[in-house]
Amino acid sequence: MMTWVRARRAVIGLVGCVTLYVLAAEVGHGRLPERIWLGAHYVENVKLLPTWRALVEEGAFLIESNILVDSIAVSTRRVVLGLLLGSVAGILLGLLTGSASRLEALAEPWVTFFRFTPALALLPLYVVWFGYGESSKVLLIATNVAVITFLGAHQGVRGVPRVYLDAAASLGADGQLRFRKVILPAAFPSIFSSVRVAAGLAWVTIVVAELINAQMPSLGYLLALAGAYPRVPTMLIGLATVGALVLIFDLLALLLHAWATRWMERAA
Amino acid sequence: MAARLLSRPDILPPAEELAEAFSALLGRGVQLGPGGEHAHHHHHPSSAQMETLLQEGVTLQGALAVTTGRVLFGLGAGIPLGILIGILMGASRRADDYLHPIYILARSVPPLAFITYIMLWLGHSEAHRLIPIVYAVAVTMVIPTYHGARDVAGKYVEAARALGARGRLLLLKVVLPAAGPAMVGGLRYSVAIGWMTAVGAEMLMAENGMGNLLVGGGMWSSRLQTRSDPAVIIVGIMSLAAAGWAMDTGVKVAGARLTRWAR
Repeated sequence: MMTWVRARRAVIGLVGCVTLYVLAAEVGHGRLPERIWLGAHYVENVKLLPTWRALVEEGAFLIESNILVDSIAVSTRRVVLGLLLGSVAGILLGLLTGSASRLEALAEPWVTFFRFTPALALLPLYVVWFGYGESSKVLLIATNVAVITFLGAHQGVRGVPRVYLDAAASLGADGQLRFRKVILPAAFPSIFSSVRVAAGLAWVTIVVAELINAQMPSLGYLLALAGAYPRVPTMLIGLATVGALVLIFDLLALLLHAWATRWMERAA
Repeated sequence: MAARLLSRPDILPPAEELAEAFSALLGRGVQLGPGGEHAHHHHHPSSAQMETLLQEGVTLQGALAVTTGRVLFGLGAGIPLGILIGILMGASRRADDYLHPIYILARSVPPLAFITYIMLWLGHSEAHRLIPIVYAVAVTMVIPTYHGARDVAGKYVEAARALGARGRLLLLKVVLPAAGPAMVGGLRYSVAIGWMTAVGAEMLMAENGMGNLLVGGGMWSSRLQTRSDPAVIIVGIMSLAAAGWAMDTGVKVAGARLTRWAR
């Protein structure tokens, strides 16, 4: 019963937002300025709030011409590669330093450094190091993902209650078994919530990296092009696409988290 | 292969080159001497990026001050906004039901992606660099406040209500302190997000600040086209890391004081 009310309210909220936009676009049609001063020059014929017809037309064009699909494929590939590479490296390293305190002292200054380096600041350096191609972008994501998942894995291992380990040891479990059956499952919640955070950040990083260094067909490139013309319907569809992808990745990360921690009791 | 890469100064500049870039960016070596002539005749910019920056009069401390200012503005406006939305959603079931789905959609759009759209609305000004930072900070502050207000404060709120507390008293003496520890954690994360967004916005659209220093000036359509100098970039990154660390330590210490009651 309660969920029905909640679902209805959610739909009302979302439909309300859409209606508000459509109304604003209809009212603004012909009233909003179409000639816009951009600091250096005027741009003509800008529709600040495109009507839903313009959005549908533009969306159909972007889909039929395969531009949108190609862009999504390129950006998604970068994010997936970066996420895989970064989380494997980060989680392995975090498990290692979490279990061996001597390694922790060795890794600590580097971790502090990367933790406070704004993710995007590494982009120009990576362009110098790895060129304009795929590798600089994939590695940029991988670095940022690695830092976050490292912290997640490290804290996850450190947070395992001493009692669990002692109990397992007194029952005769050797180091390897303790790691596999006690430490790893107990660290999973922390690890997989860091993967979820990292997935969100990976999309932010890649879209902006593609915007700054706009060269290949990709979502950031599409946004950069739309901004250069400027072509507002393309811009809004690009934004919505990025938002949808972020949402999908967040859901996937959530499912992964639920699957990895299915042994735990659920509060609600 | 690794050894070959490490020995190339255009990949990993040696320490003295970093020190040189550091002091040049601090403005040393290009000041005019007492007779109006250059104090260091031998000084010459070591790279195209350094030359552009020095010509534009960019200094490290100046750029860092500009970026810090933008981050502080973003925090100053974004934190109260995020806390407001978080408390609204955490305290009222009804508001949560209506707002949460909208919030999740809004949160999914990277703030830097709509920077050009904001520019169309507001023109080429400071506003479109600041709005993404405010947005990013606010969106990150919502969730910890929401959980703090809903999950932690819920019990205390019931007790306080039963004792007759309401309105401002309830908010200031019960909800905010109870949600405090969760909010401090969110605060530290939003400081990091604020720095990242500020640097990204400056890389894209600003004529000053650290992001601009890193990409070596120029307009955003031509950015990263000039040959970059790894020494300048590394010095910039290290300064950003130091500044981010300093701000995080400040928040951590202040937060520990503010939430002293919780331990």
